[in-house]
Amino acid sequence: MADYKLIGKPYETADLVAKATGRAKYAEDFRADGMLFAKLLVSPMPHGRVRSIDTSAAEAMPGVEAILTADDLPAADAPNETSLTNEPKYEGEPILAVAAVDETTAADAIEAIRVDMEPLPFAVDPLDSLRPGGPDARLDGNTMINRELATVKWNNVDWAAIDNGELPTDGEISEEWEVGDVEAGLAEADMVLDEVLFHQSMGHQPMETRTAMAYWQNGKCYLHVSTQSTLRTHGFAARGIGIAPEDLVLVSEYCGGGFGSKIFGFIQMNIPALLSQKAGKPVMMRITRQDEHFIGRARPGLQGRVRIGFRRDGRITAMDMFAVQDNGPYGQSGDFVVWPDMASLMYMPLSHRFRGISVYTNTPPRSPQRAPGGLQAVSMFAPLMQKAARQLDIDPLELIRINAPAGQAKIGRPDENGQQGNVTSAFVAEIADLAEQDLDWPAMRARSGRRNGSKVTGVGVALSSFNAGAWGMDGLLTIRPDGKVYIQQGIGNLGTESVFDTARVAMEVLQTDWEQAEVIWGDTSKHLPWSTVQAGSTTTWAHTRANQAAGEDAKRKLQEIAARDLGGSADDYDVADGRVFRRGARSTGLSFAQAAQRAIELGGRYDGHELPEDINAVTVGAATALAGLGLMGVAKDNYAVGGRVISHAIGIAEVEVDLETGAVELKDYRVATDVGTVINPRTLAAQLHGGGIQGFSAALAQKWVYDRRWGLQVSKRFYANRPPTFLDVPHEQPLQWAAQDKPDPFSPVGAKGVGETAEGAGSGAVLCAIADALGDGYFNRTPLMTDMILTKLENLPPAFSRLAAHV
Amino acid sequence: MAVIRDMMPAFELFQPTTTDEALGLLDEYRERAWVLAGGLDSFDWLKDRVKRPAAVVDLGGVEALRAIRPAGGGLEIGAMATLREVSRSPDVRERYALLADAAEIVASPQIRNQGTLGGNLAQDTRCWYYRDGWNCYRAGGTICYADTPTAMNREHCILGASRCVAVNPSDTAPALVALDGELEIHSSGGTRVVAAEDFFVGPDVDIMRMTVLEPGDLLTAVRLPDTWAGARFYFEKSRDRQVWDFALAAVASAAKITNGTVEDIRIVVNGVAPTPLRLRASEDAVRGRQLNDEVAARAGEAAVQGVRPLNHNGFKVALLRNLVMRAVRGGEA
Amino acid sequence: MELFEWGSNPWGQETLVRISWDLLYLAFWGGIAFILFHVVYAIVWLPKLARANGGGEAEAGGASVPARILRHTSAARFFHWVMAAAMIALLITGFFPIVGIQFPWVTIHWISGVLLTISILYHIVHATFFLDFWSIWILPADLREAWQRVRHQMGQEAGAIRKHGKYPLDHKLYHLAVTIAGLAVIGTGIVMMARIDGALWPRNPYLLSDATWGLMYVLHGFGSVLFVTLTLTHIYFAIRPEKLWITRSMIFGYVDRDRYLEHHDPQRWVVSRDSTEG
Repeated sequence: MADYKLIGKPYETADLVAKATGRAKYAEDFRADGMLFAKLLVSPMPHGRVRSIDTSAAEAMPGVEAILTADDLPAADAPNETSLTNEPKYEGEPILAVAAVDETTAADAIEAIRVDMEPLPFAVDPLDSLRPGGPDARLDGNTMINRELATVKWNNVDWAAIDNGELPTDGEISEEWEVGDVEAGLAEADMVLDEVLFHQSMGHQPMETRTAMAYWQNGKCYLHVSTQSTLRTHGFAARGIGIAPEDLVLVSEYCGGGFGSKIFGFIQMNIPALLSQKAGKPVMMRITRQDEHFIGRARPGLQGRVRIGFRRDGRITAMDMFAVQDNGPYGQSGDFVVWPDMASLMYMPLSHRFRGISVYTNTPPRSPQRAPGGLQAVSMFAPLMQKAARQLDIDPLELIRINAPAGQAKIGRPDENGQQGNVTSAFVAEIADLAEQDLDWPAMRARSGRRNGSKVTGVGVALSSFNAGAWGMDGLLTIRPDGKVYIQQGIGNLGTESVFDTARVAMEVLQTDWEQAEVIWGDTSKHLPWSTVQAGSTTTWAHTRANQAAGEDAKRKLQEIAARDLGGSADDYDVADGRVFRRGARSTGLSFAQAAQRAIELGGRYDGHELPEDINAVTVGAATALAGLGLMGVAKDNYAVGGRVISHAIGIAEVEVDLETGAVELKDYRVATDVGTVINPRTLAAQLHGGGIQGFSAALAQKWVYDRRWGLQVSKRFYANRPPTFLDVPHEQPLQWAAQDKPDPFSPVGAKGVGETAEGAGSGAVLCAIADALGDGYFNRTPLMTDMILTKLENLPPAFSRLAAHV
Repeated sequence: MAVIRDMMPAFELFQPTTTDEALGLLDEYRERAWVLAGGLDSFDWLKDRVKRPAAVVDLGGVEALRAIRPAGGGLEIGAMATLREVSRSPDVRERYALLADAAEIVASPQIRNQGTLGGNLAQDTRCWYYRDGWNCYRAGGTICYADTPTAMNREHCILGASRCVAVNPSDTAPALVALDGELEIHSSGGTRVVAAEDFFVGPDVDIMRMTVLEPGDLLTAVRLPDTWAGARFYFEKSRDRQVWDFALAAVASAAKITNGTVEDIRIVVNGVAPTPLRLRASEDAVRGRQLNDEVAARAGEAAVQGVRPLNHNGFKVALLRNLVMRAVRGGEA
Repeated sequence: MELFEWGSNPWGQETLVRISWDLLYLAFWGGIAFILFHVVYAIVWLPKLARANGGGEAEAGGASVPARILRHTSAARFFHWVMAAAMIALLITGFFPIVGIQFPWVTIHWISGVLLTISILYHIVHATFFLDFWSIWILPADLREAWQRVRHQMGQEAGAIRKHGKYPLDHKLYHLAVTIAGLAVIGTGIVMMARIDGALWPRNPYLLSDATWGLMYVLHGFGSVLFVTLTLTHIYFAIRPEKLWITRSMIFGYVDRDRYLEHHDPQRWVVSRDSTEG
């Protein structure tokens, strides 16, 4: 690891005190004079058509000020959604919104509205929709083929087999590719696993429900919104409201979690803006937990089949993957194609094939959720890796090593020329070593099978790999006459702290104390540069690079100004500790304050009056607004793009399973990771363990339950859908982690993201540990709950098909 | 009319400071009154606008209902004592550890700080159809949505159902029945004392309530007789999460054992039937016998005689059998 | 007062749940009101009519009539009392919980219902093939006579009124009402068994649509509350002094010759020696 001043060191982020003391203002903490409150009237049925709406009683109520319906909104192109609809396609989909003087009045008004609806056919399980004569979730089809809506029925398929929990692979699909010859690979294998798999759909359930408050001033809309991204939410929000981006000011200083459900804010954030326009008053829309449960997005479930061929030495010869994706009613989720992508990297099969189809269902809309497709890949395949290891009598960590990607490993779907892409780095063997040595996998493994009364110990290990970076963004900072470095950040403040962590790179370049930096974020009126989305674990990679570029630009300008004023060439000068100074004569130089003043005097490119040509138009606007305030560092990330950026983690878990009650107790969880250079060990640990905990929940508890007769969800409350809680985390000892701290070769800092990768490691390790405890406890289904474990232990007839969705 | 959830409608809030004041209010508003203790059960109902009381009588200010004090050789616990106070009370812990253990495992630490013993005992069922406001038997309709060919009933009854298959979710209830506790109920008409076992009402008798409490009634205290003080106790709750989860099945037992022989025992389960259920057949299989694994297994088998699992809860049969077996066997839960 | 109780299905659509229980109280108090009216009628009006008619006399020529005439065979009586017991059980189990007397009623209710159904099936077969089937049904002659009787009651000239056959019109009317209400409750009751836990059938509340179920419950409700009125009035008449001989016949099977000749037209209810051997 390089000898860094700031990078890799823990520090206090700028928002820490505000968050810890409750002074941080989230979207719903804002108030405006005369503010109204909005409530939503949502669909009571999974699919229906609004025949008529009678709002007369509501409108007659004192305090009711405006009502917004789908008729007030522009239509969206199928299969996309609008924030209000006259043809709801899932229970809980908003039909209209009411603004009133308070929430009580707004809710009473909703109750006074009569909506006459015609129920339409619905499907909650994708397989129901593929069945000949089965219902379609949409009137215009049940899937997308070649980007067109289409209706697919599996007329040729053996449905008796499907009813029996098998998944034939001869039904019509929409996506298909093959790398190498899978059938040949399977033929040459010494052992083939042929398995039916199921992964549940699950809501994002952030702590902060989506909320937005809007008001209009001088023709501009001011929107306070709970969103992951800031800059990238801005354009989406403006489009939703139907105004030019320059007429929208978007404020989002804090976001209480999103997990991918608020990447661009959320579709319904235009409701308060449009209601405010109608009512002529500010409008606050606080989404309730119940509404959040429906409109708050979800991970698509997968029903899958896989055949994996193994050589006797553990090397995987072929993976043949088949999946049906539970897509919800709108858009098209990419999970089902990322699923094989990630498998192709994590297990490096010598050949692989994917076939799949995404089917619309009348369940909540889907969006990416922490490692979209990647979590599913680990949860579904890691236990099979362990099963193979057991049958081949290989240590499962060793099996990971045997098949591990390394260096610029190939990944996923080939392009039109048949060429696969590659990753920038994969230090998987190295983190396997960390798991073995630093985290002591052998000691954990030695406890496998240990009995304690009716409890038996199981241990598991899983590799998780996922996307961890985007590139080509802009960095923007100004060094001002007050001597401070103002670093503009267009990414959001989601709680990962990357908004601060990545800013430190600029200060690292300037070799100056963090205390001298001011990070500007969370408000589009504050002139933010072109940024990546605060999602997909992209920010660390993207904005360490962008801020490196901006820092280098500033540094160069400092050197140039010093040379101009103090003689010599720019290269004779160095920058550190808030000064630019002559090498070897530290007292000869300028403070940042002096240099900033000089930059303003010099103008031109020094203070932002002249800008680089390759930066994004958004950055041009921001930099132009900041021009003249000081020395400007502004640059596009033009560093080499070496491939897809992927982080890796290996989780190891220890559980105790009670053979009499089916209870699973998670005893320990440790994780080793390859995220390139560690930027901030504290936030890295938080992501590794936070992601792991979310993974535990995906493995053990969190799910939806639908009554298929009505197409309605019955598990709306937290105690029924069971997101993870603090006490489900092993807390007898601190959870250990280890990072191989080697930089990725394709980035100046070499730091990759981590949030996504972390979840699968938790989920996969726990599932493997349970399987290990039960000896042969492979369920191929998540979440793995008490009833399933007891059903297996007691040899009871299963209560539902292993392919059944939302059970 | 459209349905909206998760937004509490307006109601009249009363915050009496004495029991008499509370009783006066309950008498005045009768069916239109709602007794608010810790609010963990209540706020769900109120926020979802499924139950629409005109008046909410908040007992939080009635200090007299919070006391835990010795009474007649036993112990009297005010209905408004929080679950935390119950689980941490030295008196309860020392002599009635069963109740302390049960109170200690309810929901989550935050909920135990807020939730009360009375509220935990008198809480409504958590059947998700009913709680979601489906117009089922329990809500006054003519159907049990949780027992249909498509019903999702993993967490419902295997024993004692009658039309409605919802279970009693209380963790403290089986402990109280096992301890042969009594409940003191006040109303404007006077005071009555009900055995814990008789406090709970099944759907066969009244499908629209869980306890004998009627409009105007106020559960004021729980009394524990000294009969089972210091007995050998066992409490275990099976659940999917380690926190904030209702019991898939729970067992509470109190046993008097002399030289390895079970002199007397009470075994009560919850989460498997509409009411906490005393398992007399299991008790009989154990009483007077030398304690061993075979006897424990026999008690477990006796517990599941006559079970009627639903489509999704067959696992509860094994769970119940094993929990009862473990309760008889004793040891760490 | 409401006629029906409405609810909503899980999709928020309004559905018929059952009759309003207001109708139960209406049926009960309606029955009581009728009884009170009849008591007054019986005290004030009947003696007047009797004086006007000079009292009912036994027809001459009853010599061939046996001293005891079988009115109800033992099988018919057995049916009646089984049915009555089942009906009382059904009414108690059905309605007591509604008026606030709580007890486990469902099992008794449906078993009583099954018993009632079996007894009625038996009755149908027995009455059709082994009894004088038409004797209980209202025939055109009954209607003509009814008109005559009404005129007579009103003090108008009505001509000579024939005596009854085996069953007077009020019995026939009652039987008709019981038949209709009975078929309603039994027909719907059998279907409603699909909603409860049975040992022999899988419970399926989705056997019918919401609307059809609503109709089932409404029909069951209407039939049931009608039975409240019918049962009240039936018991009332059964214990009226001038009708006790009929009640006795439902216990012992026989009426004596005087009663027979006093109330019945031997040509319309032909008895023979044989008929005493029920």
